Amino acid sequence: MKKGYEVVIVGGGIIGNAVAYYLAKEGQKDVLVIEKNYISSGSTGRCAGGIRQQWDSEANIRLAMGSVKIFEGLEDELGFPTEFYQGGYLLLAHTPEHMEWFKKRVELQRSLGLDVRLIDPKEAKDIVPYINTEGLLGATFCPTDGHANPFYVTFGYYKKAQELGVHYLIGKEVAGIEVRESRIRAVILSDGSRVEARNLVNAAGGHARDIARMAGIDIPVNPQRHEILVTEPIGHLFDPLIISFKQGIYFRQELNGGVLMGYGDPEEPWSYNVRSTSRFLFNMTKKVTEVMPILDQVRVLRQWAGLYAMTPDAQPIIGGVEEVEGYYQAVGFSGHGFMVGPKTSELLAELILTGKTSLSLEHLSHKRFKEGKGKIEKAVI
Amino acid sequence: MERLKDHPVLDFDRGEKVIFYFEGKPIEGYTNETIAAALHAAGIKVFSYSPKKKRPRGFFCAVGKCSSCLMVVDGRPNVRTCMEYVRPGIHVRRQRGLEKLKGTEE
Repeated sequence: MKKGYEVVIVGGGIIGNAVAYYLAKEGQKDVLVIEKNYISSGSTGRCAGGIRQQWDSEANIRLAMGSVKIFEGLEDELGFPTEFYQGGYLLLAHTPEHMEWFKKRVELQRSLGLDVRLIDPKEAKDIVPYINTEGLLGATFCPTDGHANPFYVTFGYYKKAQELGVHYLIGKEVAGIEVRESRIRAVILSDGSRVEARNLVNAAGGHARDIARMAGIDIPVNPQRHEILVTEPIGHLFDPLIISFKQGIYFRQELNGGVLMGYGDPEEPWSYNVRSTSRFLFNMTKKVTEVMPILDQVRVLRQWAGLYAMTPDAQPIIGGVEEVEGYYQAVGFSGHGFMVGPKTSELLAELILTGKTSLSLEHLSHKRFKEGKGKIEKAVI
Repeated sequence: MERLKDHPVLDFDRGEKVIFYFEGKPIEGYTNETIAAALHAAGIKVFSYSPKKKRPRGFFCAVGKCSSCLMVVDGRPNVRTCMEYVRPGIHVRRQRGLEKLKGTEE
């Protein structure tokens, strides 16, 4: 580690590693990434790895579409496997309200150039023969959605960033941030050491609010536990990731055969708790077998939990801030940071290097909360 | 036959002698012994083939942990045969890697 860096990144998940890589790729190699546990130890390594473009808000759709383009060539770019697989996303609607919402969403998504369509229950059953179509009114399907292995993708960025000269500090925690004359000056580590920094990137996932606070910035990002389980591996059963809004669940089959699934509990309080519960195990297995009854033959292998970094409108906060020069953030992804990580990180690197971005991040600035402009993203599970 | 008949501290209650089928062939087993034990005693040492490299797998942990003895029983894949008792007339076959669930036959 040197005395100081042009850019110090806090957080070794998808965002931290990818921003480091895109900075170095564009020639800025004076970069340090600080990760307090291990690479992908936070939300990235705990996520389901789904990659969806079917969102409600234009900003999310554009970030996701841009990320899918990057994912498509990422193995070659990084020289590392990613297990990127485009099996599509199938979203199920069981109420007239959801159907109306689906129609509007598809219209917006198609206007942005996404290949997505509204289908009837019969077509849905053609795509996934084992879904229960009782009470199903319709669905949307986007064939270019899919999933990737979050560990592989993050380690791919990590390895490549290191090859390009990025430094890493793993196992050290940031305890403070020095701001003087409204400018980032240095980062203080919990062992008391000090690293000078001209710019700081907050990529701290579930802990982003704490990091922002150290720089004197308050952002409305709150951690919320979400649980996941995975089953024993079975022969190929279905391709797409399936979301059922009725049960509030998602599930997908991994390339190794296991079925990974989760749901969001609306009662879950803000906290850093990532323990697993039997309540989740029993609810999850009940809900998933309502959607795909044949899964009652399959055993659960293990379960775990991670943090969604929730914002009031369930959309991320990306970019700089007016109060502190040199402070940047890509935080508050509300459960979909992995899938939009590549494009987000590319844009943030561009912003740091050139002061502007090729795709507008205006709507995702943290100013929107003061101005009351946020539009709520409803498609979060 | 590779069954222990006598043991210094354990008593064996093998249960009833019944017939079940391994890949179509009738096998003698006892209702108080596991499928894997009955197959092993009948000289059948390969229970499954590994998913990636198709390597043969046989009796290994015998306590339901290792996945070596996963077989297809009456069409159900991933059955831990070291944990499941012999029943008369069941059809058992070797599992080859990942197998389709019952009810999804191609």
